[in-house]
Amino acid sequence: MAEYFGTAVEDIFNTMEERFLSEGTLDVDVTIGYNISGEGGGNWKVTIKEGTLKVEDADGEVTDCTAVLNANAETFVGVTLGKLDAGEAFSSGNIKVDGDLTVLVAILPKAFKPFKPVIKASAIVESVEERFLPEKAEGVDIKIGYDLSGDGGGQWTVVVKDQTCTLKEVLDDDCTVIMRMEAQVFVDLNQGKLDGGTAFSSGQVKVDGDIGVAGQSASLFEKYVAEGAAEEEGEELISLKCVPSINQRYATGPTMGKWFDGLKEKKFFASKCPQCGRTLVPPREICAQCRVRCNEFVEVGPDATVTLIDVVYYASPDPLTGKIRETPYTALFMVLDGVSRDESFAHDLNPKDIDRIKPGMKVRPVWAEKRMGTYRDLLYFEIAD
Amino acid sequence: MGIEMKRVAVCAVAQHKCDSNIWHKRFQGMLLDVLEDIQKQTGMHFSEEGGVRSIVSASDDVFDARTISDNGITDVIGAHYREEEKMAQESLNALGYAMSIILSGHEDVVYVAGHCKESQGESRNVCTNLSYDPFYGRAMGLDYTNVAALQARAYMEKSGLTEEQMAKVVVRARQWAEKNPYANATEQVELGDVMYSPMLCDPIRTMHAYPVSDGAVVMLLASEERAHEFTDNPVWLTGFGSCMDSYFLGDRDLASNFALKQAAERAYKMAGVKDARKEIDLVEVMDCYAYQQPMWLEGLGFCGDGEGAKFIDEEGPAKYNVNLSGGMLAGNPIMTSGLYRMAEAVLQLKGDAGERQAADVNRAIAQSTTGGAGQFHTVVVLEK
Amino acid sequence: MAKKNRNVGIVGIGQTEYSSHKEHQNQAEMVNEAVRYALEDANITLDDIDCVLHGNMELFEMVFQPDMWHSLGSGAYGKDQFRITTGGTTGASLVCAADNLVASGMYDVVMAIGMEKLQEGHTTGGITNMADPLWFRHLQTGALTATTATMMMDEFGEERAKKAAMKYRILMDKHACLNPRAHRRFGLEYEQADDLMNTSPQLVGELRLIHMCSQSDGACVMIFASEKKAKKMCKTPVWIRDHITVHREETFNNFGIEMPEMTHHYAARKLFERNGIKDPVEYFDVFEMYDPSAWWGLDWAREFLLLKDDEHIKLLEDGEFDLDGKLPINPSGGVTASNPIGATAMLRPAEAAMQLRGDAGPQQIKKKVKHALASGFGGTLWSVLMMLEKDLDWQEVENG
Repeated sequence: MAEYFGTAVEDIFNTMEERFLSEGTLDVDVTIGYNISGEGGGNWKVTIKEGTLKVEDADGEVTDCTAVLNANAETFVGVTLGKLDAGEAFSSGNIKVDGDLTVLVAILPKAFKPFKPVIKASAIVESVEERFLPEKAEGVDIKIGYDLSGDGGGQWTVVVKDQTCTLKEVLDDDCTVIMRMEAQVFVDLNQGKLDGGTAFSSGQVKVDGDIGVAGQSASLFEKYVAEGAAEEEGEELISLKCVPSINQRYATGPTMGKWFDGLKEKKFFASKCPQCGRTLVPPREICAQCRVRCNEFVEVGPDATVTLIDVVYYASPDPLTGKIRETPYTALFMVLDGVSRDESFAHDLNPKDIDRIKPGMKVRPVWAEKRMGTYRDLLYFEIAD
Repeated sequence: MGIEMKRVAVCAVAQHKCDSNIWHKRFQGMLLDVLEDIQKQTGMHFSEEGGVRSIVSASDDVFDARTISDNGITDVIGAHYREEEKMAQESLNALGYAMSIILSGHEDVVYVAGHCKESQGESRNVCTNLSYDPFYGRAMGLDYTNVAALQARAYMEKSGLTEEQMAKVVVRARQWAEKNPYANATEQVELGDVMYSPMLCDPIRTMHAYPVSDGAVVMLLASEERAHEFTDNPVWLTGFGSCMDSYFLGDRDLASNFALKQAAERAYKMAGVKDARKEIDLVEVMDCYAYQQPMWLEGLGFCGDGEGAKFIDEEGPAKYNVNLSGGMLAGNPIMTSGLYRMAEAVLQLKGDAGERQAADVNRAIAQSTTGGAGQFHTVVVLEK
Repeated sequence: MAKKNRNVGIVGIGQTEYSSHKEHQNQAEMVNEAVRYALEDANITLDDIDCVLHGNMELFEMVFQPDMWHSLGSGAYGKDQFRITTGGTTGASLVCAADNLVASGMYDVVMAIGMEKLQEGHTTGGITNMADPLWFRHLQTGALTATTATMMMDEFGEERAKKAAMKYRILMDKHACLNPRAHRRFGLEYEQADDLMNTSPQLVGELRLIHMCSQSDGACVMIFASEKKAKKMCKTPVWIRDHITVHREETFNNFGIEMPEMTHHYAARKLFERNGIKDPVEYFDVFEMYDPSAWWGLDWAREFLLLKDDEHIKLLEDGEFDLDGKLPINPSGGVTASNPIGATAMLRPAEAAMQLRGDAGPQQIKKKVKHALASGFGGTLWSVLMMLEKDLDWQEVENG
């Protein structure tokens, strides 16, 4: 079976039930489709509804879901295990998502415990030769037999002689000691999840031959570390997450103060440069071009002509509130009536006009019912027709 | 270091009066006021031919609570379609950098503009706490005040500085501040007011500390060839030096003035000063806390190591015309204090210091510091 | 403007790898890594450094005066130090400052450090924070806008513009794949262009995820010396010929019915005029441009090179921006490949200098590289533009 980073694609789906965090999904109702291409790939449909999980194999491409993820097997496994950067896989097009991307970003981490690669008994045994420590085997001449039953099991003989180690895929008759157990018990013992004494006395492990040798043999080999589990063995990094917050008291000054006073009255005030005559909106104390103080105010707008349109899909945090902005939203660049042709003003568009808006159109402001002289007084602009 | 250098002139300075809460102006308003002031003094303009084409600003993103803090003030410092670089550092360093722009031949005239509002954020100590590394220093709650307190204690041990001597420093600062139209704290106090003021951070009392302040200062620098276009009475920047000490408090001897001594040495060498006591007529030091005045004066060489306390009793500060502006103790904002120190030195050298004018001022020093317990110091030498 | 007091050479360059996963280093350690590489490259020690320059955008990592903490790794202990920050242009401003400081005679050897650890903050939120808190911070979306894409599609037709932007993007990725330090190396092929054009998620309008720069951690250090010292210290010093910085007013008010000259164009005009460069495409052998997105990179090629109409698109379509073309752009992969913001604008002259030295590694241009152009970008559409030369033969200043 095809494996990437020591893991098969189906391992990830086969473990979804046991990794499912029901409490994190009580208010969720989504379906997620997975189309994994390449060797070892497949198609799956995952339904998460109000704390319950259903994982189904699908025949052929899955399409009709809240979100559908398409990727090749290696990328899918790599990103799941954290061996490949999700952001880069996504940016480079190696992962494509149809439908609601936020489902994957917001719901998956709440719904499942992270996948840890399954360690197979056969992988442990079959790596003995690489993990052998010859310096520890001076004078050692033994044959250790393994008789492991169940998934990932098998029969092997490990021959240690003359400071070399050889693995045979049969169980020899003349082993110094034979250990018999379920493959999963073997894995748990090896990874320290089950203690040897308990395993032996509870009858989970049966030993034929020299028990003493069984105990000593562990010191002849380096610990087995699965490819995907490497992070756990590494250096522990201190990671600190903190949101510092310092309250600020901003001054408007008289010029910006005039702007906000104007908003209260549903009026736009621009400052005018006494030297070049251009209008600045929102008004500013100085004309940056002439470097002279602008003391004169003129009322402009309220309507404007649209010059450029930005439809924003990327959800970023609003630094003033900390909340993530709802997308998509449309930002307009416009020239207010009565303002110089080279001075644009920017604001949002009424969402209802997102499909109709075009450059050159006239727009008018929409005001909040209650206005208090802040940026919240002006809600957005809408098409003036 | 370097070759025989030409001189850089400070043509004019304009200061905004410091106050603990300039709620009625934003940075742009403060800087526009001083721009108009300096334009009136010098006739400077920003035209492409012959005008100011290079600006050095000084401000800080954390105190301004604004990413790219110079972006907000571009318009009022004339930087539209001009060169501008921002010193994200104590403002006195802007002078050293502006000097290099002129000495390198890149530009002949440089406009320097610094601003800061300590009153904008709810706590300047929370801001300075952010200077420490997140895992240890910050978590311990270090900020520039409590770290200064550690240094104050170390210095008091070394020099024998007493409560009464520190109070003398504050009383004198207020006396001079009263004569300075740009100073913040001008209320007169007596020794007892200071000595028995509440403890802020032992051994620093509330009256030993500089008040929360807002302000802005601008200056016009020019090459020797062009200074006359802006003033009949230029002042010359002849020496500059700065120096960084260690970051970890445990690596430092807090009372040693390591960084200040080196910064001063380099500035003096550039200016050709051999003995500060004999050659310097006026000193402006950035004394955020009372103990810093005698300590920084030691570092600058006006008295011997550990003799700062004696220096106070012997009226050393009066003798050397120290902080006739009232100093930082009278209230300047943290990132802009260096320019306020410099401004007073310039006015004194020009003979424009009004009521505060000292006699026979030919050579002066301005000093500033930043980082916890003066981790970093800057020294500038000026002459008539 | 007076004659330059003395010439300034680049004698050492050090860069960390750029990535989004530098959890194994704190900020001071990351700075130190690049400092060590630069000192090694220059074959000097900290004792030879007279002054340190530091820059980054501290509101990303939310550290006040980070040069204090970073002194653990920057080597600034006991030395003069300046800290200059100008948003995205920081790295380039540091190079301009180093040039001014060394040329002035105040210092002989200056080390400039640009760094950023974007993973330790929120990049788009941090950029949005540059807007005035009372008006516009509630509207800005970091550095994301499709206005340039829209204007290019209007001018050249939707299909040609989109194809050109994608070709530029893929070209940048091909260059990045040659750069061992680049953050993002996707291995894109031109055959993918149509697919990516239509399926890469939209960020804003036609600005798609694939077009946009990365958010990287990393540090870049460069060492500068006076002409006399540079010639003694270094086998292949390369020279800073000239630089210009152009800022713009506080707000993004330039999208009106008439649009002002872009600072990129103004900078190029002034710089080339005062240096007698009549045809930049002919004169320069490489251009390391600060290109935050494929659309901007392509549009600004026209601005910086003072081209007209669709000359820039033709150059791209004819392969002239490729490594073996007439004027290779971003052999390093540019900003879409690596973007540690405080350092990004320094990477441009650093990579250009390496091309001049002939040791840029796998991304080295095969033809002889004698004249280089490098740009920085940031703020409200500010530009920094500088010229670097392999030889000192453009003037005869021979002192210091």
